[in-house]
Amino acid sequence: MSAAREELEGQLHHTLDERYHHRHPFNLRMHAGELSREEIRTWVRNRYYYQTRIPIKDGLILSKAQEPAFRRDWIRRIQDHDGNAEHDGGLSLWLDLAQAVGLERRSVEALEDILPGVRAACDAYVEFVASHDLLESVAASLTELRAGALMRERAAAWETHYRWVEPAGLAYFRARTTQAPADAEEGLRFVLENARTAEDQDRCLAALERKCQILWNLLDAVDAANARPRLARRAQLRNDPDDPMLVLPERAVRLNGSGGEILALCDGKRSAREIADALRKRHPDVQNIENDVHHFLAEMRRLGALEHNDRRT
Amino acid sequence: MKAPRPYNLVAELTYRCPLRCAYCSNPLGHAAVRDGLDAETWGRVFREAADLGVVHVGLTGGEPTVRTDLAAIVRTASDAGLYTHLVTAGMPLPPEDLGGLVESGLRSVQLSIQDSRPETSDRFAGVAAFERKLAFAAAVRRFDLPLALNVVLHRENLEHIDEHVALARQLGAHRLELANTQYYGWALANRAALLPTRAQVERAAARVDAARREPNAPEIVFVLPDHHGDRPKPCMGGWGRRIVVVNPEGLVLPCHAAAELPELTFYSVRERSLEACWNAAPGMNAYRGEAWMHEPCRSCPERTRDFGGCRCQAWALTDDAATTDPACALAPERERMLRIRDEAERDAPALVYRGAPVS
Repeated sequence: MSAAREELEGQLHHTLDERYHHRHPFNLRMHAGELSREEIRTWVRNRYYYQTRIPIKDGLILSKAQEPAFRRDWIRRIQDHDGNAEHDGGLSLWLDLAQAVGLERRSVEALEDILPGVRAACDAYVEFVASHDLLESVAASLTELRAGALMRERAAAWETHYRWVEPAGLAYFRARTTQAPADAEEGLRFVLENARTAEDQDRCLAALERKCQILWNLLDAVDAANARPRLARRAQLRNDPDDPMLVLPERAVRLNGSGGEILALCDGKRSAREIADALRKRHPDVQNIENDVHHFLAEMRRLGALEHNDRRT
Repeated sequence: MKAPRPYNLVAELTYRCPLRCAYCSNPLGHAAVRDGLDAETWGRVFREAADLGVVHVGLTGGEPTVRTDLAAIVRTASDAGLYTHLVTAGMPLPPEDLGGLVESGLRSVQLSIQDSRPETSDRFAGVAAFERKLAFAAAVRRFDLPLALNVVLHRENLEHIDEHVALARQLGAHRLELANTQYYGWALANRAALLPTRAQVERAAARVDAARREPNAPEIVFVLPDHHGDRPKPCMGGWGRRIVVVNPEGLVLPCHAAAELPELTFYSVRERSLEACWNAAPGMNAYRGEAWMHEPCRSCPERTRDFGGCRCQAWALTDDAATTDPACALAPERERMLRIRDEAERDAPALVYRGAPVS
């Protein structure tokens, strides 16, 4: 292997060391057995949306490929997810998992109650693949290099910590411990062979970084869903109804009326959903309140205006 | 014209400072001026500021913690309903005394360091201060206040970006301000020694970009220095628009350097209310809005965003405060900025330090 190829491989691994979602606080809590049943269910329900995007993403990748050999290999991924018949394949295994954690299979399959932040993250992945070339799309899939180890760890952690989950439900994790490494090796080979210039290599690294960010954002959204936010000590809410403002160490943010209302409901007792419910009662004619609340809270979190009452600060 | 609503008050409590930074942008020769306003007067200024619509006050200087009545000043600001933020070099206030300020209503702190390497930091400060600053930062976090770390960038520390970021993380800062040296006051005398080269700035920008993409990165503020850019900065968010500065003598200004501009009359809170000083001083109205603008600003679509750039820089470089800031590629006097760009590529002369520290 040439020096440049070895260097690229090292850099890809370095990116995963630093940015893959195995380091996300939500994942660390999951594997330490600290998640509540509600948090587990939120994750399983929402992660299913990601699972449904994978075959679509792989279809887009197939449409970019010129080589029959590449397509023959890559099409296996779609089969792994969709199966060769109903109730067969990864998506179906995930729905088994959903049932095992106490969710209604049909509701999960119908993509009910997907968090806006999760939807945005997953759609961003499909959009990335749709708008980038084959090399970058394959590079983005290389998060699979770490998926096998993560799944092994996850299966073990769930068996130890979440005994209330039917063991049969963990079949998805076990299936992926072997599928993901095989897929990843194939993807890695392709990237190392086809990233010929320094510019190609930079594009591949950026693609993988972007993908890591998408997975991270997904967990951010799941993590936030069950949190009970309250105004951070650093933030001052000036809830003058005519001109509500949020003041932070280095900035003042003018809020609209509903922004002030949402922040006033962030009392450390209500979850995002309960805040949306409270608002819906006050404003029954307004559409999409839940979506607005999630986006607004995400923005407030980004500004450091919110804290949580549990261990997550 | 009707004056806009200011949101932020910059309260310069004193010109005194125990440091002697070679890049200090405070006016020359003011270090001997006595603190003009007592805590009671500051209290009135804060209440009048709140009435004007101000929501946030930055207590600064000089070095604000040289004032022995700082806790009383913090209390009046906080009682006026203002979000109270301290901008400090982390000395001479003993770190344990921070508790008194927190009890008085202090909400956040910006700490400046001269570099993330102790020896460069102390050399630039002109006194041994680095260890005290670190102890001060630790105290800020112990009192659970948000901490911003500020590093003024120049030729000798611009290449230490990774170390600045690492220090910000180590200290638990939520924000890292990498501020370009402002070439006024003492810094102007040292300009040739401080200007970073193009290559330095490009390397620094790449490192900032990488650091911002790290997980859980602090917010990093970094903009191109004017001599390597081609768009002017919206200085102070526009003249007399969002930020009101009250200097140690009580003068109400659009920015701390504006008192140096010739032929402008500003009013003092010692003689008038803050509202009168803000609304009616001829100096405050001189460059408000757009009526003062000449071409190319007058018809430029960018004028509502950059406000024609910095009046003080225009004056410092061209002797005409009303001309387009030469930081703009379209400025008639652009040549002046390009000369500075050339100056930045030359070898640096030795630094000249401010006089003996006054505390």
